Amino acid sequence: MTVFTLSQAEREATLLPQLAELTAHHRANSPGYDRILSSLGIARDAEFGSIAELPWLPVRMFKTHDLKSVPDDEVFKTLTSSGTTGSGASRIYLDKEAAGAQTRQLGATLQTVLGGERLPMLMVDTVGIIKNRRSFSARGAGVLGMANFGRKHVYVLDEHDKPDVEAVKGFLERHGDQPFLIFGFTFMVWLYLYEVARDNGLDLSNGILIHSGGWKKLIDRSVDNDEFRRRFREDTGLHQIYNYYGMIEQIGTVFLEGPSGGSLYCPDFADVVIRDPETWAEQPVGKPGVIEVVSTLPRSYPGHVLLTEDLGVYNGIDDGDWPGKHFSVLGRLPKAEARGCSDTFSGQAA
Amino acid sequence: MSLTQRFPVGPEVPVTELVSRLQSEPDGGRLKVGDPRIVEFLTKFARKLLAPAVARRYPELASLGFFLRKGEIQKALSGLSDTGDALRFPRGLVFHVPPANVDTIFVYSWALSALAGNHNVVRVSSRSAGAAEEVLAALNAALSEVDSETARVITQTQRMITYDRSDEISGALSLAADLRVIWGGDGSVKALRQYPLAPHARDLTFPDRSSFAVVSVAGWQAASEAERRGAAEGFYNDSYWFDQAACSSPRAIFWVGDADAAASAGVEFRRLLGEVLAAKQHVTEPAMAVQKRVSAYGAAVDGLVTSMTFDGNAVATLELTEPAALPREWLGAGTFASASVRTLSDLVPIVVRKDQTVSQFGFGREELVEFATELAGRGVDRIVPFGSALSFSAVWDGYDLLAEFSRLVSVPV
Repeated sequence: MTVFTLSQAEREATLLPQLAELTAHHRANSPGYDRILSSLGIARDAEFGSIAELPWLPVRMFKTHDLKSVPDDEVFKTLTSSGTTGSGASRIYLDKEAAGAQTRQLGATLQTVLGGERLPMLMVDTVGIIKNRRSFSARGAGVLGMANFGRKHVYVLDEHDKPDVEAVKGFLERHGDQPFLIFGFTFMVWLYLYEVARDNGLDLSNGILIHSGGWKKLIDRSVDNDEFRRRFREDTGLHQIYNYYGMIEQIGTVFLEGPSGGSLYCPDFADVVIRDPETWAEQPVGKPGVIEVVSTLPRSYPGHVLLTEDLGVYNGIDDGDWPGKHFSVLGRLPKAEARGCSDTFSGQAA
Repeated sequence: MSLTQRFPVGPEVPVTELVSRLQSEPDGGRLKVGDPRIVEFLTKFARKLLAPAVARRYPELASLGFFLRKGEIQKALSGLSDTGDALRFPRGLVFHVPPANVDTIFVYSWALSALAGNHNVVRVSSRSAGAAEEVLAALNAALSEVDSETARVITQTQRMITYDRSDEISGALSLAADLRVIWGGDGSVKALRQYPLAPHARDLTFPDRSSFAVVSVAGWQAASEAERRGAAEGFYNDSYWFDQAACSSPRAIFWVGDADAAASAGVEFRRLLGEVLAAKQHVTEPAMAVQKRVSAYGAAVDGLVTSMTFDGNAVATLELTEPAALPREWLGAGTFASASVRTLSDLVPIVVRKDQTVSQFGFGREELVEFATELAGRGVDRIVPFGSALSFSAVWDGYDLLAEFSRLVSVPV
């Protein structure tokens, strides 16, 4: 069972009609989205020749405006993310169908590397992160979303955020000789699991690690993806490592690292476009640009074609572990700051 | 809690000590309005700012240098002469809180207050950047070039300081001040207003403002190619110098006159502006380009615009559904709302108190005076030609600053 099967040509042929239909659907059901496209001079019956020609929305629109394509009474779940500090929260509206689809497709994507069984699961976080079910941090939502894919969960950190070595040792004694699942955010996995496993000589060779969340904190420690993989393999035996890239604004769609590492792949219902920030034209392989993520999942809100604020680069097309485009995330765009008369740091005025 | 003395450079001092020093009588007699010792110091300081090396690095400091030349100072003071039964005197101790992100405002504010004969304490942001550092260096250098008596009186009466957020220091300076001057918008005003003033003292506040531009379609048609190019260049300076975030930078352009002619004038203006941007090798950072899209698309969602045009990343033009939809918040460097109206009078009902500067092209003085008269104080403090929006003047936000920084003693006989 895999959802990484479509070559780029097949992907264009399969997804373009669906995405064009989604564009029309959102225009018909989200007045705000329709106003954006109308103001850009895009006709309601416009034809699109390729995925890269579809109009994109900046992902931050969901922080500044409520955009949805379902009536209020059909909203089943509202997701909010804090995102980067001080930028407000994204609000993503899901109806029953969209909520179901995102869980299903995330499951299908992860099954590609986990198989069909629910595996014993090591969570590189504290159980406190999901204690308060009413208000989740983005981290809590991620942990909770992933927890469904495992069983017999053990948390690596105690309630004081200290690594609980005994708990990890106990988990490995019970499950370490069979495949098991490890989940966590990249920097926490590095800080709390790698160091604990190395210092205590733990054997993680049957583990399958799924991790996400950016390299910024690790680059400061001069650890990049290659170094991360190499040291885990050499010092703990862990060799099945899958980084993924995703965001709450396209919940359910994750771009997954291939088995050989170093490149992210698009599931069959998604695609990626790297754009030149000067001209917004698509970049060729090897030239960095701004990442646009494309997915057929967002039906209850117009989030099917989103320009992120991340920089990335195509590593290749149809020449990697799996078919389609594969790419790396290089970092974030810096925040746009203006010098003005008004002091945006009014808190400092005192 | 100590504060750092940046000008004149000195050791850290507690705020109580600083206040008592600034409140004592200076040697060589009290400062007067237009005191020659201050004038001498300011002109020495201005010369430093006009030095080619400085002016090349920070063009905004050259403008400041011009503003403080002897001739300009005399002109400003001449409007203040004692009249009839009234004699003019300094207010006393003035506490200035400038914005953190426009590096030169604190100098204008301070210089005019010093000219009025006040003792001053200016809080310079600890986040101050290049131009502000250059200013402090020039001030300190000028101090060693005036005679010792002048240097001593400046040192006894003038201070620029830096301190981290502190209720104690802000509170003590507020209580000691005869006048408190708060720049930096609504947030700063609100933050500083927590600290009581002495009963006789008051605030001079510069809250958040916004500005727009007007072009006479007839004036545009009558202008030569060179004048039109000059208009685009002036508009570029007004808008792009501070990423369009200065309160005086226009955020909307209203074309005044025939609608069809306005549309073709607008197209030509955008072409000329594009040429200026290319000549200045203007670069729009990707993050700024994205910011502009977020703002522009947001305005579309809000139903404020009928169409958006992006000429590269540098210029975004948003056609407004109606003039009253003009945005007053910052949308990103080079984002201009646009609308056409028949006459300037059509703009009168949409003007609010927050509106500060109208930069104009192609109007005659009479039309502008009529417009100002019709506004009747609703809003708008200055109407200036394209290219002058950012020029500071001694009359700002509707205040005659030298008059605000001084008080009258009347002696009717």
